[in-house]
Amino acid sequence: MTRSTKKVIIGGITIAVLAYIGFSALGSSSIEYTSIQKAEQLGKTVQIVGTWVKDGGSKYDAQANIFRFSLRDENGKVVPVELNGAKPNNFEIAVSVVAKGRMENGVFKASMVLTKCPSKYEGQPADQHQGTSSS
Amino acid sequence: MIGQIAIHLLFGIAVTTTVLYALSLSSSAESSSRAVVARWLFRLLTAGLVGCAGTLITLILTHQFQYTYVWNYSSTELPTHLLIACFYSGQEGSFLLWTLFVAIIGVVLQPYAKRHGYEAPVMVFYGLILSFLTLLLVAKNPFSFYYETFAAKGITAIPEEIPLNGKGLNPLLHNAWITIHPPILFMGFASMSVSFAFAMAGLVRKEYHRWIDVALPWTLFATGVLGFGIMLGGFWAYETLGWGGFWGWDPVENSSLIPWLVVVALVHTMLVQKRTKGLVKTNMILALLGFVMVLYSTFLTRSGVLGDTSVHSFVDPGRFAFWILLLFMLTFVVIGVVLVLKRRVDMNIKREEFDVSTREFMLSIGSSLIMASAIFVTIGTSWPVIMEILGLPKVAVATDFYNKVHQVLVPFILLVNGFSLFMHWRSTQRQLVLQKLWRAALVAAIGTMILALFGISNLWPLALGFAAWFSLAVNIQVGSGLLKAGPAMMGAYVSHLGIALLMFGVITTAMYSETYHAVLVHGKPVSVGGYTLTYLGSEQVEKEFVDREKYRYFIRIENGDTRRTVAPVLYWSDYNQRQSPFLEPGIRWGMMNDLYISPKNLGREDVFHETIIQKNNTAVVPIDSSLRLQLNGFTMPLEEGPSDDGRMQMSAVLRVSDSSGNITDLKARTKITNGPNGPAFDPEWAVIPGTTTAVGLISIDRDNKDPSRSKGTFAFYDTTKPKPYARQEFTVEFSVKPLMSLVWIGVIAMVTGFGFSIARSLRMLKKQAAVRSTQLAPMPDVES
Repeated sequence: MTRSTKKVIIGGITIAVLAYIGFSALGSSSIEYTSIQKAEQLGKTVQIVGTWVKDGGSKYDAQANIFRFSLRDENGKVVPVELNGAKPNNFEIAVSVVAKGRMENGVFKASMVLTKCPSKYEGQPADQHQGTSSS
Repeated sequence: MIGQIAIHLLFGIAVTTTVLYALSLSSSAESSSRAVVARWLFRLLTAGLVGCAGTLITLILTHQFQYTYVWNYSSTELPTHLLIACFYSGQEGSFLLWTLFVAIIGVVLQPYAKRHGYEAPVMVFYGLILSFLTLLLVAKNPFSFYYETFAAKGITAIPEEIPLNGKGLNPLLHNAWITIHPPILFMGFASMSVSFAFAMAGLVRKEYHRWIDVALPWTLFATGVLGFGIMLGGFWAYETLGWGGFWGWDPVENSSLIPWLVVVALVHTMLVQKRTKGLVKTNMILALLGFVMVLYSTFLTRSGVLGDTSVHSFVDPGRFAFWILLLFMLTFVVIGVVLVLKRRVDMNIKREEFDVSTREFMLSIGSSLIMASAIFVTIGTSWPVIMEILGLPKVAVATDFYNKVHQVLVPFILLVNGFSLFMHWRSTQRQLVLQKLWRAALVAAIGTMILALFGISNLWPLALGFAAWFSLAVNIQVGSGLLKAGPAMMGAYVSHLGIALLMFGVITTAMYSETYHAVLVHGKPVSVGGYTLTYLGSEQVEKEFVDREKYRYFIRIENGDTRRTVAPVLYWSDYNQRQSPFLEPGIRWGMMNDLYISPKNLGREDVFHETIIQKNNTAVVPIDSSLRLQLNGFTMPLEEGPSDDGRMQMSAVLRVSDSSGNITDLKARTKITNGPNGPAFDPEWAVIPGTTTAVGLISIDRDNKDPSRSKGTFAFYDTTKPKPYARQEFTVEFSVKPLMSLVWIGVIAMVTGFGFSIARSLRMLKKQAAVRSTQLAPMPDVES
């Protein structure tokens, strides 16, 4: 075997190993965006995009370090959420929230909740701006 | 109006400059009249951009809210350093800053390129880059008038409709870092254009080696500045934003990391070509890729394609800008690929095989591994977009993906770094390598055992630890041998030492950090993990501002005899109508340990055993389980009449039953004050007959749609004891992060090393130029 074929083989194996590591990590770390209904069926960690149901209120239990609120997904279904942590920044004014977690006994146990703030770049002139954050 | 016309003119000048330089390519560049005109036009373009930037900053500083951009991103309350930051808070301004930096670098680059006989081919590509950037500015013009932007909403040009104040800057960004970090990052991005322009010039000129020497100082500069900018971002996140760490694999962070990784790989492969004349095509491709990745990153983070996947907010730039960005990127990919393919055969002439035991081989392997990292980060960051394009369900990539791949990659990169320093260029005696190798391996083995003794038992962190010790030992061993040669020779060793230290910081903070959740009641010491935390009270700061209420919350941390006080910050701002506070961590910096407190919640102690009861439901009284309380309803304010002091009153109608079945009816009345944050309740305590339990109605939660589902919150206390007082309750996350300082020391060492290397490469370039001018044969590179 010549030196250069040896190198090609070693290089090929290295690339194959790296590709394997990359794609297996990608597979195990991919988290699907889905609906509440689908999350119930899957039972694994997913992300749900939705809005906070304001009528249901929200409460932070400091001792247990759990923040509770209700989330309505894009299909209109509502689920109680238990976030392991404190109230996320800008929770009240968020136009939508993304919760990452899994369904357990009808409750969405979230490890992370991201809030999407009303975009201040939405193109509303000044006098109408005041109204956008509360809508 | 002038500003908008100016931007269009600048685009025209940029295009003209590019065309003139292109036309002067064939003639002997320096003397041709076209080149002279192009040179002056380029200076005019830069002057114009400086003028535009100066105008924009003046408009911001003087609060000219008739301009949409000024209105959108600044406000009258902001101090000067934040007003300066408003310049690049929005897309328009940040594109202008990028363009400005590219142009200013170009003014320095032009005489440099001319000196090395590369002016026309370099400036053609450089001009083309500026043409695209100014076109972006035409699309995202920072000088639009307010009435133009909102003409569709019926806003007209009359002075009465000019807003009195701007929307302001997100309070999270209110600190000195926003004045420092983004410009450095943009300078890094801007300087990445230079290596690309030189590489393309090399292809045009069919000079595949000389561009390496000329472009190397610029490539080192880009790597150092971009690396420094990225680190400042991490420091900002850690120090102010309270993310707890310095790196979160967020798409915005990744998008600055990807071009940096490519340019780091490029620096190493350029060194290989400098010494061996090998890797000609690799360098062309990496120089192209480094620049394209800057554009791709800009596209990812500025086009809105990433949507929900980041904590940074993305803004839809509008269709026009989206397509310009895409076209920008594709144009340069096509130009680069076509040129490389055209010269493919030509570049193959000096093809060479590297022996395994040589430095060039090790550097090639190292660069490949760094590129693997760049590819992984690119795939991870782009995955949501890729899935969307493929029409598959949308996914996000959890940040542990990056940790998983890098815990395998980084140990190999560090080991290869160590090996490469033992190897010589061209050929190395195995005997010599083995001799030195054993010492470093021994140090690494002992170091790894120490890490294990302190409690790391996982394979990959230990592998990373071993590799970091190995790299550290080799760099000190080899680097210290060169001490006499002066700091210029030390660049690579200082940089690699920095990376090893950074990796130790990553290991210690990831593996040995302890994090505790603590609820701190005012004045009451709480023990967590060997530390005693006491919340001592708060103090309002920045009282001179009316748009915010900002407090420092003092927390004493005791550990044995040492006492320290840190002060995390919470503040309420008009920016979000004071609906929720903004948080900043409190940090006690230390060489050995950082003590880090992130505020989580501010509330009141529940000393009254609060219980919520829905209408027509029953609950057990928390302090006396023999009593059951039923909520039958609420009386209306009209029935109760006003209180003595004129406040509105309501009552809860309750029925109490005890264990022996006795039933008593009871009314719990409360006084209600309506305030900006909703009604406040002041209960009249009612003692339940025959007991020592007092009940108070402390809030009413009305359900307007279905009044039968309204709820009341009740509080209780024992009347034989003094009435309790609810103290403030501050909930925090407390972490001890050992050797966090290594992260910052490591990155600073790395950047300093780049500084040394730039000085050295410039000096070598001068020497070569001197040799060339005396018509001698090119001197080989000198290395001791």
